[in-house]
Amino acid sequence: MGHGHHHDHSFEAGTDVPPALDLSVPDGELSPSDVSRRGFLRNAGLLGAGAAASVLATPSAAVAAGLPHSHGPVGGGQEKGGFRWLAGDHHIHTQYSSDAQYRVIDQAQHGHAFGLDWLVITDHGSNAHAKIGVEKVNPDILKTRTELPGLLTFQGLEWNIPAAEHATVFVHPGRNEVAVLKQFEQTYDGSQLPATNTEAQNEAMAIAGIKFLGEQVKARKVEGALFLANHPARRGIDSPHEVRNWRDADPTVAIGMEGAPGHQASGIKAPNGRGGARGYYDNNPSAASFAGYPLESYRTWGGFDWMTATVGGLWDSLLAEGRAWWVTVNSDSHVNYLDQSERGPGSNFEANGKYNDPVYTGTVNTGAGDFWPGFYGRTSVGATSFSYKAVMDGLRAGRVWVDHGRLIKSMDARVRAAGDHRATSGTPLGGVLQVRRGTTTELTLEIDLQDKPNWAQFIPVLSRVDVIVGSVTGPAASRDSFVAPDTKVVKSYEVSPGATKLSVTYPLGRLDKPFYVRVRGTDGRRTQPGLMGAAVDPVGPKLDVIGDADPWADLWFYTNPIWVLPR
Amino acid sequence: MTTYRSAAAAHPAAAATPTRSLADLAGLPVIGVSLGHPDTISAEHWLASLPSAPLLACTHLVRTPRPHVALSLVFDHPTPGAIAGADSVPAEAGEECPVAAAEHVARSSGRAVLYPGVEKLVGTLSVAEILELSAIEKVEVLGGGEADPAALVDTGDFVRPQWRLGSLTLTTTPAAGGHLVPFETRHPTPCCAAH
Repeated sequence: MGHGHHHDHSFEAGTDVPPALDLSVPDGELSPSDVSRRGFLRNAGLLGAGAAASVLATPSAAVAAGLPHSHGPVGGGQEKGGFRWLAGDHHIHTQYSSDAQYRVIDQAQHGHAFGLDWLVITDHGSNAHAKIGVEKVNPDILKTRTELPGLLTFQGLEWNIPAAEHATVFVHPGRNEVAVLKQFEQTYDGSQLPATNTEAQNEAMAIAGIKFLGEQVKARKVEGALFLANHPARRGIDSPHEVRNWRDADPTVAIGMEGAPGHQASGIKAPNGRGGARGYYDNNPSAASFAGYPLESYRTWGGFDWMTATVGGLWDSLLAEGRAWWVTVNSDSHVNYLDQSERGPGSNFEANGKYNDPVYTGTVNTGAGDFWPGFYGRTSVGATSFSYKAVMDGLRAGRVWVDHGRLIKSMDARVRAAGDHRATSGTPLGGVLQVRRGTTTELTLEIDLQDKPNWAQFIPVLSRVDVIVGSVTGPAASRDSFVAPDTKVVKSYEVSPGATKLSVTYPLGRLDKPFYVRVRGTDGRRTQPGLMGAAVDPVGPKLDVIGDADPWADLWFYTNPIWVLPR
Repeated sequence: MTTYRSAAAAHPAAAATPTRSLADLAGLPVIGVSLGHPDTISAEHWLASLPSAPLLACTHLVRTPRPHVALSLVFDHPTPGAIAGADSVPAEAGEECPVAAAEHVARSSGRAVLYPGVEKLVGTLSVAEILELSAIEKVEVLGGGEADPAALVDTGDFVRPQWRLGSLTLTTTPAAGGHLVPFETRHPTPCCAAH
């Protein structure tokens, strides 16, 4: 990898286990360097079940850097760090969802106008959608692709994961995109399964569904299929072992979760807003919930889901295992704040699989909890070109950072051998840097601060950036673990007022044990010590206030991790 | 969504009696019962339908044989006619649920629907008043430790404390106007209308 014009950056996971990790290869048959690597991993407790499905086994997953190359004038995004960063949203509903109302083109042209380069249409899995909507929406999507060539419009659906929450499932465009999605939904959607199923049967169906998607790719029915868990902590029903099971079912398909849920307008204070809970996170434990989750997990923290917002929490517990698992942010747009339309009159959703086209009302909807796609949150993907495949590859590689309210303009975060500051070197977000033990590494972070107003007409001001580091300790003893005791904020940078750029180098020291690093930043307006204590996260995100959570007055960005492993 | 009557409202006579402390209930048998309720709303419906209200009634989230909501009940009399003529629960009223009873006795988990003083927890009250008027022993702010006794809580006339680490604890969260609200709301957002 690393040359100028390579088109296949796919994640070849699971199949090619390196000899050092393949315990069926005896020590005597290993090369001296593999013997050394195996010994190191064994001493670090990193050999054994689970290791093969982690970044330890497939570091090439994300190393695929490559140089930038564009394919003509089509498409947006911005160049930074050798990639074209394409902003997107993988969680959007239309009139083909029973609780939504817009046309595909309504969502797409708003999203594009608000700066998105790609988006995924994800109507709810349901009887009506499985029978009618999944097919009927496709011509609308095809037309949108023609009408908006500067926007990549994927077809997906929002899967009712058996025994769990919802998930975005989407595929690469192609002649089988509808057939694959339809068969998937009719076979594996929670709405299509017998109510008599046990929890164990449903959990098994979820795993089978993810594997089915991977098989469609292997059979070349579609060029790619991805799964991302949506609003994962909202009702406590995505248990830690289910998250691990999905990811392990096929790491080329199940790649991550929403770091922040959509519905970010729902906490705006009444009477100008809905006056509810940010993200609609106002639930309490039910009989279906994972009993180990604390009440804190049911609320948002700085607008983010507890799994992601808690330093040393569930997300970090996966990263500390070496499990590649990425976070995103999305709109989950159904009905948008301050919009002036409603569902078309005379609709019959069950019969038609859709609502009639929305109509203008002349009244302003202050009770809606959603923003238009691109209006508030964005998932920025480091792509090698403006194409459907490049977006899917970038997502799969974890070359992703996310922000709310356009807190930052762009960023380039890389880990390198210390002192190597060549523009073409360094391991980007989602990547794995492999160096000899004892090698000194550093994080180089270059953030272009925002100089343009966001869609609330102010220029966001980044106040602080936190570097978060955790040891990689191998598979957790329990698949229901959701703590990473060794992960913490190791450094915070205050951003000087008036600065246009933040360029810092954080020394990561000489490599003695494998670790990962991720970065977070904030406008600094709402903070409190993290849930694992001030020693872990002294100024973390604050619990959102019920009925008074102004989303524009509490902005954060998060990056995905970079691992550093011994060669 | 149908509005349901709270169990406390169903038994107005309970409001006339002075608030008893949890200590007064010590020694009374705790009955665990499982009727297969899918959620707390249906469990509370059943509770409200009892001819004689328990002094203390909690819901418990039980995983086996399939996820459901069980109850633990403490009656004024050891052998209430409300449920049966015995401490145990007859078949037509469901099955015994020793897990629910054990959690209640150990004060380790369980969510109290009926408890001494619940009928007085209406409108906006200070944390100190909640502690004084009811059997609730602790009020906490989610992710923030014990609540300031002077802080005001908008109860929403719906207060469901939980047994935690030996205490009947009400967890609250910050809300509009600088007030607190109980963690659990009467009508949480349904996950979506489609299913």
